[in-house]
Amino acid sequence: MPSPLPDHATDQARFQTSKRTLAVDRLMTVVIKFGGALVITSVLGIFLFILLQIWPLFAPASVEPLKSIPIPAAKYALLGIDEWGGNPFLVKTDGSFLVVDYESGAATDKAIDLGTTAQVTAASLNKREQKVILGTADGHFILVSPNQTSREEGGRRIVETNPKAEAPVAIGEPGRPVIDIAYGDSGTSKLVVALQSCGETNRLTASLFKRKRSLMGKSREEPAGSFDLTPLIPGRPEKILVPATGDSVIVLTGSGKAAYLVLEGGRFEVLQTFTPFEDLANPHINAANFIFGDVSIAFASDSGANRIFSLFYPEGSDKRLFGFVHEFPDLGASPVFLVSTLRNKAFLLGGGREISLRYSTTESIRWQAALPFTAENAVISGKYQRLALLGSDHALHFYNIDDPHPDSGWKALFGKVWYEGAPGPKWEWQSTGGSDDFEPKYSLVPLIFGTLKGTLYAMLFAVPIALLSALYTSQFLDPRFRSVVKPTMEIMASLPSVVLGFLAAIYIAPLIERQVPSLLLVAAGVPLVATASGFLWSRLPIQIRKFIHPGWEWIVFLPLLLASAAALWSLGPAFEAVAFVVTDPATGQKTADFRAWWPAATGSSFDQRNSLVVGFMMGFAVIPIIFTITEDALSNVPKPLVTASMACGASRWQTAIRVVLPTASAGIFSALMIGLGRAVGETMIVVMATGNTPIMEWNIFSGMRTLSANIAVELPEAPHHGTLYRTLFLGAMVLFLLTFAINTVAEVLRQHLREKFKTI
Amino acid sequence: MAAGARDKLDLTRTHAAVGEPFVWLTAMGLSLGLLMVAGLLGIIVSNGVPVFWPDRVYDLHLKPGVKNPVAAGADSITGEIVQRREKRIPVLGPDGAKIADQTEVQVFVGNKDAYGSAFAFVNNADVASITEPPGIYRLERLEYGIAFGYPVSITLPGGQSLPAGSPEFSKTLDRLAAESEKQRLEIEEIEKHEIGRLNARIKDLRAKGRGSAESLAAIAALDAEYQILAAKARELRTAKAASALVYKTPTGVERTLPIGDLVSYSLPNQLGFFERAALCARNVWNFLALDPREANTEGGIFPAIFGTFVMTLLMSIAVVPFGVVAAIYLREYARQGLAVRSVRIAVNNLAGVPSIVFGVFGLGFFVYFVGGSLDQLLFSDYLPTPTFGTGGILWASATLALMTVPVVIVATEEALAAVPRGMREGSLSCGASKWQTIQRIILPASIPGILTGLILAMARGAGEVAPLMLVGVVKLAPSLPLDTEFPFVHLERKFMHLGFHIYDLGFQSPDSEAAKPMVFATTLLLILLVVVLNLAAILIREKLRKKYATGAF
Repeated sequence: MPSPLPDHATDQARFQTSKRTLAVDRLMTVVIKFGGALVITSVLGIFLFILLQIWPLFAPASVEPLKSIPIPAAKYALLGIDEWGGNPFLVKTDGSFLVVDYESGAATDKAIDLGTTAQVTAASLNKREQKVILGTADGHFILVSPNQTSREEGGRRIVETNPKAEAPVAIGEPGRPVIDIAYGDSGTSKLVVALQSCGETNRLTASLFKRKRSLMGKSREEPAGSFDLTPLIPGRPEKILVPATGDSVIVLTGSGKAAYLVLEGGRFEVLQTFTPFEDLANPHINAANFIFGDVSIAFASDSGANRIFSLFYPEGSDKRLFGFVHEFPDLGASPVFLVSTLRNKAFLLGGGREISLRYSTTESIRWQAALPFTAENAVISGKYQRLALLGSDHALHFYNIDDPHPDSGWKALFGKVWYEGAPGPKWEWQSTGGSDDFEPKYSLVPLIFGTLKGTLYAMLFAVPIALLSALYTSQFLDPRFRSVVKPTMEIMASLPSVVLGFLAAIYIAPLIERQVPSLLLVAAGVPLVATASGFLWSRLPIQIRKFIHPGWEWIVFLPLLLASAAALWSLGPAFEAVAFVVTDPATGQKTADFRAWWPAATGSSFDQRNSLVVGFMMGFAVIPIIFTITEDALSNVPKPLVTASMACGASRWQTAIRVVLPTASAGIFSALMIGLGRAVGETMIVVMATGNTPIMEWNIFSGMRTLSANIAVELPEAPHHGTLYRTLFLGAMVLFLLTFAINTVAEVLRQHLREKFKTI
Repeated sequence: MAAGARDKLDLTRTHAAVGEPFVWLTAMGLSLGLLMVAGLLGIIVSNGVPVFWPDRVYDLHLKPGVKNPVAAGADSITGEIVQRREKRIPVLGPDGAKIADQTEVQVFVGNKDAYGSAFAFVNNADVASITEPPGIYRLERLEYGIAFGYPVSITLPGGQSLPAGSPEFSKTLDRLAAESEKQRLEIEEIEKHEIGRLNARIKDLRAKGRGSAESLAAIAALDAEYQILAAKARELRTAKAASALVYKTPTGVERTLPIGDLVSYSLPNQLGFFERAALCARNVWNFLALDPREANTEGGIFPAIFGTFVMTLLMSIAVVPFGVVAAIYLREYARQGLAVRSVRIAVNNLAGVPSIVFGVFGLGFFVYFVGGSLDQLLFSDYLPTPTFGTGGILWASATLALMTVPVVIVATEEALAAVPRGMREGSLSCGASKWQTIQRIILPASIPGILTGLILAMARGAGEVAPLMLVGVVKLAPSLPLDTEFPFVHLERKFMHLGFHIYDLGFQSPDSEAAKPMVFATTLLLILLVVVLNLAAILIREKLRKKYATGAF
């Protein structure tokens, strides 16, 4: 008997998948799920990372208490500090310095030889010179240099203070106590202004010293005149401010007036008198100080109101006067001190327990707090990183300031800002400047404007051509050509933008510059020729028309287009000679030149690298994108709709315009959006084909600066984690959001269209 | 619209004609679009190709009394005619009509050292006649570009001179030129490679040795080696400068050119067609294979080609696995729903985010964050000089990979979706596991689609400039990212790129007129590269479409 066949049904192992296959399958599932999720999250992480980079721009200052160092109870004339914030010093009434060392917590007396025994009754600090000027009870002034040096030792910064005094010099009425004193030094001369108490009245004296350089390089100062300014002041002078340039004085009176005196031609003259708090019940000025740069003054009233006045040339005036520029909210207490920094336009306003760190240009309050003690005076280190407050509890309280981007914020980036020296608030982008106290201007508005301008002109040129050609290709073109036409247009999409930009700058811009009238003729004439030839053609009898098959018109049109364009182009100079003639008013010479005519006729400028060139060249980047997507949308309109329309007797144009176009409208809109997205982000064409000037005008013959070009131009030079760096990241974020939003709308529309076609 | 047709039934004017003018208007749109492409490519080709073709040299004899723009007193200008163009400012007569001839001729006169500028403009109306000087030489020099002139003599190393008329003149010139070429290569080998290697080792020792005795001794030894090499290079330099060619410029000034500085020479007006073609081929080869000279306006663009190639390669290596894995996950593993749909839209839209945004991200994340951290961890000896904490080819490739990953994801997903359902189900019903189905059935079927995505990504990467400007491209890189020195692949190095080369030459070159031929030639090359890549992608896609005609959307 043959042996029975093996029982397959019972051989269970045969039906089991090998362990290896299962293991590999599980492994790959894990790998792909993990990898896929990782790739997608990391791609989306771009957004988060950029957000992280720009966040500090909008963060307020962080001010944290460090430590408090007790000091002897005494009357102090001045509080000063070194650049690093390690060695604040106080000037006692006998002229000696009390130096407080932050690291060790010790407060040591540094006696100096002032050359007089008179009491110090007034003192102020010249920030530019880093020198202290002391006024004495017997009518002298003394310049003291704190002489602060620093060195690094074992990772800690050691600061040393060794004050040195110059000889006392008499000023004003002899023997009268000085109650306020300030000086400015322009390098060649020094202006010292002192306010002395003479019984009922206060006497104001300005002394000028000229510096002469001897051959040995040593300079010698000589008195060059003393001026009694008291009669010039409209009221009782109370406080004086002298800018570092030493060419003017601002005197505050008891009735709240500020007089602006300028030294010109060897004499003082009152240029302006203004009342900063005119509208308040009590206009008295409680505290005032220059903002860094000495062009703006921050005033605070008794009630805590806070205003900034700046020097600028008002519209139509040739005199640089103070004008009301910024206003801050009330402090909420009567201010006692107002100190500015040496690094930026920030200042610290305090009184009682209230304290507020404010940034003048952007009107932003960087930090405001209620202190656990009453502050009498304050000082900010030169690097804007440490704050020392003199408390009424006889201690110096140290705070750490962490405010890397004080000049940033919503208002600076998007609002109109009244910059120092400008006659009014405006949007401005200017990231670098020549001078030290130059204020970077980071408004993104001109850049967004430029982006929109470039996009607008690109779309104006691209949309008609793209839509017309897509309509023709999908509806009228002989299908045999389609496999050639579409790849050709796609090749156009792939042209690197650097090539387009280079051609725009080197080839197209000089060509267009000379031939604007020709271009105008071509732009207006070619569509006319096209329509007219179509009209004439349709009037021809069928016997002739049958020679050209429907869908072949574009081939006929190629030579026609070339011929008409060439003819119109060559007519350009003649057109220019008729329409665009300017007469030179000086010589009477007539010139037919559009480049001269445009500024003369419109008052706008004419640049070689202008929006017209950019619009034209960006067309190359945008046309193929709009074309491809529109063509797809039109071709995907279900055929039954078209044939039904035709069967009803509609012409091919009627079918295309009344049936196909409305059905595909969502797709066309989506194509326009995607084209818009491409134009918004285009970088190299704009960098190369415009002057990259951040101006805000719609003039087609001027350039612009777009967000993307701005990043490309400035980011390579921007210091890591500086305000400019982060602002450029913000620009990238705006671009990102803009294009992402545009594309999302387009994508959703497209999906909607897809759903719609499914049902037909 | 149809009203006119209703009045009279005329078979020649039926409804079919309604709107015909507008059809023609749309036809104009298409013609215009195609003309734009053709015109653009035409401009590039017509400006790029003649760069290599040897031009004839002409003498432009000026009318008496006309001021010679090149050298006062001479009555002619010698050079290659670059273009004739309309003058920038048209001059009008008293009646407002333009004065007749307003074209000017731009002449490439060379001899920048003698004339100050290599180009001259002369009014067409001022030219009396144009002749071809038969015996003129075109000398390509290492410095100051091209010189036109007539040879006078050769000064031999011994000091004797060989007049231009003697029979062995050209033979001697050829021999000397070949010798000096050899010496030049030797000097380059010594200065660039051997001394460069020494410098790298010294730098390494300085950073890592921290002033220890052995490291100082080693540095001293290397320094001695350096001195020997430097002396050798100096010696070669003197030998190279020993012989010289004395020539006379067309304006009659005698000048001496050390033969070591002579790159090549030709007699442009005595060349036949085939000689011209051979010279043209040599020019093309030099353009592709040589290093740039003279602020990139002379020589070749080899480092830019190589840099573009290596960067695109690195980018492709990074982009394919990630893109494909993400696409497989989205299409095959993730549960299809609102979440995946929105992720898909987001990925799709990332492809439309401007490239400069990716550049910004690359600078902040790769260069400063990742690179800075790497420097802290691995290269802290070299700080504060950054190693990876500054732009380099690795970060550039990573940035572009990130930029193009959506392109690959989208293309791969489309290819995966196009694989017919039947194939999938057939495989599964035969007992294959999910991964086996993907690995053996779906992936092979979608290879062409993935390839299309990759080629499109490569084309985009090769042509992109804006993000690269932020993450490591430079106008002149001293060394290539791949070379014969250990560790052979230098991912931290900065590199040159064709697109950036165009930007830099066309836009930032000090002598933009002299740079023009170079830019057009580079543009031609880049366009060729991008167009070929795109055509390949289109062709593959067409094939794919036919293959899965049923599965396509």
